[in-house]
Amino acid sequence: MRKSLRVLLLGLVVCSFILGSISVAFTQVAPQIPRNETIIVDILGGRVVNPKRFNSWVIGVSSGTDSGIQQLMLEPLWCVEYAKGRVLNVLAKEPPIYNKDFTQMTVKLREGIYWSDGVEFTADDVIFTVETLKNKPGMSYNTEFNMYVDKISKTGKYTVIFDLKQPNSRFHTYFLDRWGACRFMPKHIFEKVEDPLKFDFYPPISLGPYVLKDVDPAGYWRLWERRKDWNRTAVGKMYGMPKPKYVLFIYYGAPEKKAMAQIKHELDMCDLTMESFRAVLQQNQYARGYRKDFPWVVNIDPCITGITLNNAVSPFNIKDVRWALTLAIDIVDTIGIAFDGAATMGALLIPPTPAYLRWYYRPMETWLKNFALDIEVDGKPFKPYDTNAPYRLAEYCKKRGYTVPPESQIKNVFGYGWWKYAPEVATKLLERQGFKKGADGKWLLPDGKPWKITITTGTNPAHPQYRNGFAVAQQWRKFGIDVEVKTSETAGTEGTYGKYEAITTWPAQEPWGGHPDLYRTFSAWRSKYVKPVGEAAIGAAGYISRWSDKKLDGIIDDMEKTAWDDPNLTKLGIEGLKILVEEMPSIPTFGYPGVVGWDEYYWTNYPGAENSYQQPYHHWPNFKFMLPYLKSTGRK
Amino acid sequence: MTFFKRYLLPRIIQYLVVIFIGTTVVFVVPRLMPTDPIQQTIERVTMQGTYIDPDAVEELKETLKELYGLKGTLFEQYAIFWKRLFRGDFGPSFAQFPTPVMELISISLPWTTILLLLTTLLSWVIGNILGGLAGYFSHYRWARILEGIAMFIRPIPYYIVALGLLILFAFIFPIFPVVGGASIGSEFKLSWNLIIDIIEHAFLPALSLIIVGTSTWFITMRLIVSNIVTEDYVSYAQSGGVSNKEIVFHYVIRNGLLPQITGLALSLGQIFSGALITEQVFSYPGIGTLLYRSISTGDYNLMMGITILSIIGIATGVLIIDIVYPLFDPRIRYE
Repeated sequence: MRKSLRVLLLGLVVCSFILGSISVAFTQVAPQIPRNETIIVDILGGRVVNPKRFNSWVIGVSSGTDSGIQQLMLEPLWCVEYAKGRVLNVLAKEPPIYNKDFTQMTVKLREGIYWSDGVEFTADDVIFTVETLKNKPGMSYNTEFNMYVDKISKTGKYTVIFDLKQPNSRFHTYFLDRWGACRFMPKHIFEKVEDPLKFDFYPPISLGPYVLKDVDPAGYWRLWERRKDWNRTAVGKMYGMPKPKYVLFIYYGAPEKKAMAQIKHELDMCDLTMESFRAVLQQNQYARGYRKDFPWVVNIDPCITGITLNNAVSPFNIKDVRWALTLAIDIVDTIGIAFDGAATMGALLIPPTPAYLRWYYRPMETWLKNFALDIEVDGKPFKPYDTNAPYRLAEYCKKRGYTVPPESQIKNVFGYGWWKYAPEVATKLLERQGFKKGADGKWLLPDGKPWKITITTGTNPAHPQYRNGFAVAQQWRKFGIDVEVKTSETAGTEGTYGKYEAITTWPAQEPWGGHPDLYRTFSAWRSKYVKPVGEAAIGAAGYISRWSDKKLDGIIDDMEKTAWDDPNLTKLGIEGLKILVEEMPSIPTFGYPGVVGWDEYYWTNYPGAENSYQQPYHHWPNFKFMLPYLKSTGRK
Repeated sequence: MTFFKRYLLPRIIQYLVVIFIGTTVVFVVPRLMPTDPIQQTIERVTMQGTYIDPDAVEELKETLKELYGLKGTLFEQYAIFWKRLFRGDFGPSFAQFPTPVMELISISLPWTTILLLLTTLLSWVIGNILGGLAGYFSHYRWARILEGIAMFIRPIPYYIVALGLLILFAFIFPIFPVVGGASIGSEFKLSWNLIIDIIEHAFLPALSLIIVGTSTWFITMRLIVSNIVTEDYVSYAQSGGVSNKEIVFHYVIRNGLLPQITGLALSLGQIFSGALITEQVFSYPGIGTLLYRSISTGDYNLMMGITILSIIGIATGVLIIDIVYPLFDPRIRYE
């Protein structure tokens, strides 16, 4: 018996060694693909469950859009570039040309652009795509194109004319890439297809600088190779040759696995959690974040985080209550709890990126400083704006042992200001609405019942939404409100149907990012789109706060009549933001702190804070514009 | 004939009823969830950054309802569902529209089936043999060591065991890959290289499942055997001079196997549900991730497709075990 056991155990050990010795160390690139010519980046959206599908023109379907389809394969007419705050002309030669009443849009295409199979990209592809999407229910933009496009025609090979059924000064934004846009189908392929919905488009041809080389049948990676004729693509014409010969998109899994891969130099660019990023920094001397030093994070993401309040539910329908909740938040403490100080505060319902600081935060600074609530403190109207908040945050970070940027950089790194931490003013605001404190020091509603707030959030503890929820709950508890944080897989649905009090969904619809137009942001609060509780809101951020204002409606109407390139748009934006400050329908906290890990072992010259030539994410469509700037270190 | 009428036929009817009820429940339950697939699709589009004109949203909802087959009463949808099911069609996936659910399942299922079938059988065989031996020879030191190891492993959460193996053999000693089912650039044509490659990728996930699975089977078998060894027929065999090898394999383990066989049938049936944590930790392809995605995106058809396969798998496993039970237990006769 003992002998049998020994044989069994020995067998197991031998098997392990045989399997283990087959390859001494694993590398994630195929032997015929040189690592030093390959950049390996993470697939943000996870494993592609339908790996051989490249048709990205079906509504709501993502077959790994961020595994190279939008970054390397397809091109838009225009693309948002939020690092500098501009819109790039990609397949279009110039911005759109509208007629006076915005019923016609002319697009001039860049010449000399070719699909990877050698067929030229022309107006015919644009017309075919728009007509196909318009005629086939279930395709992306089918509803919108039916609503707006009366006729699409061409004058020559490179000029497309859209005749619209109704005026639309922003019709071109359907073709403006901001992590999604109407991109184009190759007419010569799709015109032979019986049902464009069912067509997999595999193997795909490409309009971008890379073409698909290989795909994992299990969906964990997609490998792309630089086109030999890269100079016949928009990227080639705009910025020159993309430097990596190959781009491997791979999904490693949870952040700890991405960290393991990056430590071993098997993943050049990825999204991480702050904790996994710190682990990478400690163990990989070539690793860096968006900033080389604290606070490391990307602070140019065009998204503002915060707490959305349900304005259709009492007492959040009262302006004084919303402002009291804002003044009960110590933003320094909040950012400290949520991200250990590594975030840029934003007092407005737009992101505090360099572009929006330039367009709105800075021009509004005087107004913000003078803005007063209709309540007096020491006989004077109370002015809630706190320009000192970023400096307090810098002090907090110093105390935590971090080296903070020099004083001249404080505003750019930590923000321009926030709302004063003024619990005594918050108390006054609540008391004049009939709220009072009970014997236990907890707030009671005007009807005498205990005031309990439930903050709903998602289930991912690393997400800024989740962290915002717990950090703000802490502030409100300190103020004397009984707060519960409810984590839920269905938080999104609860928000949509208005079944919440406070939720951590973005407090405002994200603006374009690369353009001062705030039409997209403000539209979410348009009176005609507000839905009652129990009925699905039209969209998520902004819409679900179920707040509207007649004055803001007027501004949105004016925006519709104002051309996209009219300087008056910024003025209208400022007027709208003033209303939002006065009403505070939801509470902004800080800009989305993106945690990216970049390994400089094989590649350098990433667009970090010190050289922000492009947006920094590998999952954005703009990734292709970054590739010509990368430099190989020459390491094998 | 008596066997067919008195046992097999009622048993098959019971099997079909179980599948029918299970399938009906699977049809109804997702529709009671707060997640709405139409709303999920719209949220997916907007969260990705695409701008949907607010005025277009209502019309879009109607279009999606039509495409997803969610128009009509619940009963009408139920009737269409059965009509499709009889053709072996679970309909299109909503999140991957219009790709058929069966196509998505067929991409992931082979990985799960091979991994879980092998690991379930291996851990069952190893666990039961070692558990039987350790139970019979409980006074030996090696038996106590084996029992100690199993008792130590069993309470550790599977996630920790899996992560530990991953860190040890894929990070500190990088001898196994950390992601995928095969190497990048592998040609999926039957060859020795491909088989080795697939085994390398499956090794750590399989090892983690075998370690935990074996310890579970070991402990239960050890417990069963500790009761059997006190039975008269064992003492009688020992006093009659029957060899230990004969007693342990023909009297003790064989009798101890009966409840374990039922457990095996249930475990094999559950293969179709996948092994979500294994897939997540090792980034190994499989149906667990697909099921999780279907739940989080409100993809009714995909959810139903995977769950129905699981119901059929478990029900079939139990039916087969019921039928072949006399082979393992001579006391059972269908007369």
